[in-house]
Amino acid sequence: MVLDQCSIELAAGEACVLSGDNGSGKTTLLRVLCGLTRPDDGQVVFDGMSVGDAAVARQVRSALQYVPAHPYLFSTTVRANLDYGLRARGVEPVERRQRTEMAIEWARLQAVVDAPPQQLSAGEKQRVAIARAWVLAPRVVLFDEPTSHLDRASREQVIALIAELCAADTAVLIAAHDRELIEMAGARRLHLASGRVRSVV
Amino acid sequence: MELLELTRDALHRLVVLDPGLWQVIGVSLRVSLIALAIVTPIAVAGGFILAMVRFPGRRLLILLVQSLLAFPTVVVGLLLYLLLSRRGPLGAMQWLFTQEAMIAGQVIIAFPVVCAFTLAAVQAADPRLHETARMLGASPLRAAFTLLGEVRFALVAAVLSGFGRVISEVGCALMVGGNIAGLTRNIPTAIALETSRGAFTEGIALGIVLMVIALVVNAVLVLAQGAGQGASNPRAARALWYRG
Repeated sequence: MVLDQCSIELAAGEACVLSGDNGSGKTTLLRVLCGLTRPDDGQVVFDGMSVGDAAVARQVRSALQYVPAHPYLFSTTVRANLDYGLRARGVEPVERRQRTEMAIEWARLQAVVDAPPQQLSAGEKQRVAIARAWVLAPRVVLFDEPTSHLDRASREQVIALIAELCAADTAVLIAAHDRELIEMAGARRLHLASGRVRSVV
Repeated sequence: MELLELTRDALHRLVVLDPGLWQVIGVSLRVSLIALAIVTPIAVAGGFILAMVRFPGRRLLILLVQSLLAFPTVVVGLLLYLLLSRRGPLGAMQWLFTQEAMIAGQVIIAFPVVCAFTLAAVQAADPRLHETARMLGASPLRAAFTLLGEVRFALVAAVLSGFGRVISEVGCALMVGGNIAGLTRNIPTAIALETSRGAFTEGIALGIVLMVIALVVNAVLVLAQGAGQGASNPRAARALWYRG
């Protein structure tokens, strides 16, 4: 059994770091929480809504975003990547343009806004993925090892963006090994072992 | 030397727009392009569904599609002939020896090519692609179109491969088209006829046209594969076969 009766509570704007050994199930937990992986047994409830329920899936996904360790960027420009989720949700063109510009400024992507993904560094790709989630105004963002493959400067930029998310009342749950993240100021620490989550004081 | 002379004559007749030759070319292009326009959305949708949806009998269906890749076109023509003949179940349509029958035959021949190549392209796509689209709020249909857009270069290769298969096939075209001058005589059936009559100039001229079409199709295929390898899902351009 990979996960057993896991339950996590997050307050608005709270940062929570989930640590655990390789293979302990951190990625599985995040994927189950956002509905990308179905649990073999039981159900995942987010804010009283069942994540696996097709009827509320869109509602859950509008409140919850997931940024994997190696995010996939569509083979178009950064601007189009940021616009994708807004377009998918039927946001009007004028508002889409405004929110996309805000995301570009927020994540400091001005220099690469018209670049395709293959021209971006790992740090830039991660910032695009975070901005792509941010632009949808989620209540919770799940991060899977957001800094594990980044250099020092990129790590600091990503951690700064995550801190800004929390400052804007977005709760974040971060699966991480990175000491800088684990010791992020004000972050609650959880540890996943033997399929169970426990608080770390 | 005779061959050189014949080739020179053939080129001359093409350049001066010999009406008989260009009518045959026109029939070929019309029939094949219409068949392609019909088969592409159906086969691409079929390939996508086979790649992405799990249902009972899926593996059998994939095996069938892949087996049909090597199905002799003359047998397709024979089966279609039996269906469309006066005594056949579709005889009332009166399609036998018309361009409509040829189009139907080419749709059947091109379908497994476009479908199998689409299946391979979608399976080779980055598995994160579809998940990312859905997480960002895309509906299943929008996510499907996003995925197809990401593997567009491989899809171009699939469609061009289908075109290449039908533009040069002769078996089915002869069976259900009847090789009627000005109506159902296309490039391959005209080459067969003219050569059997000893009219080598016409045969060579039409053969040159077919080679040019094959060269152009392959050039576009190479460009599409190159562009696909430059995109963020390079495996889509290389993987042209279902891996199970």
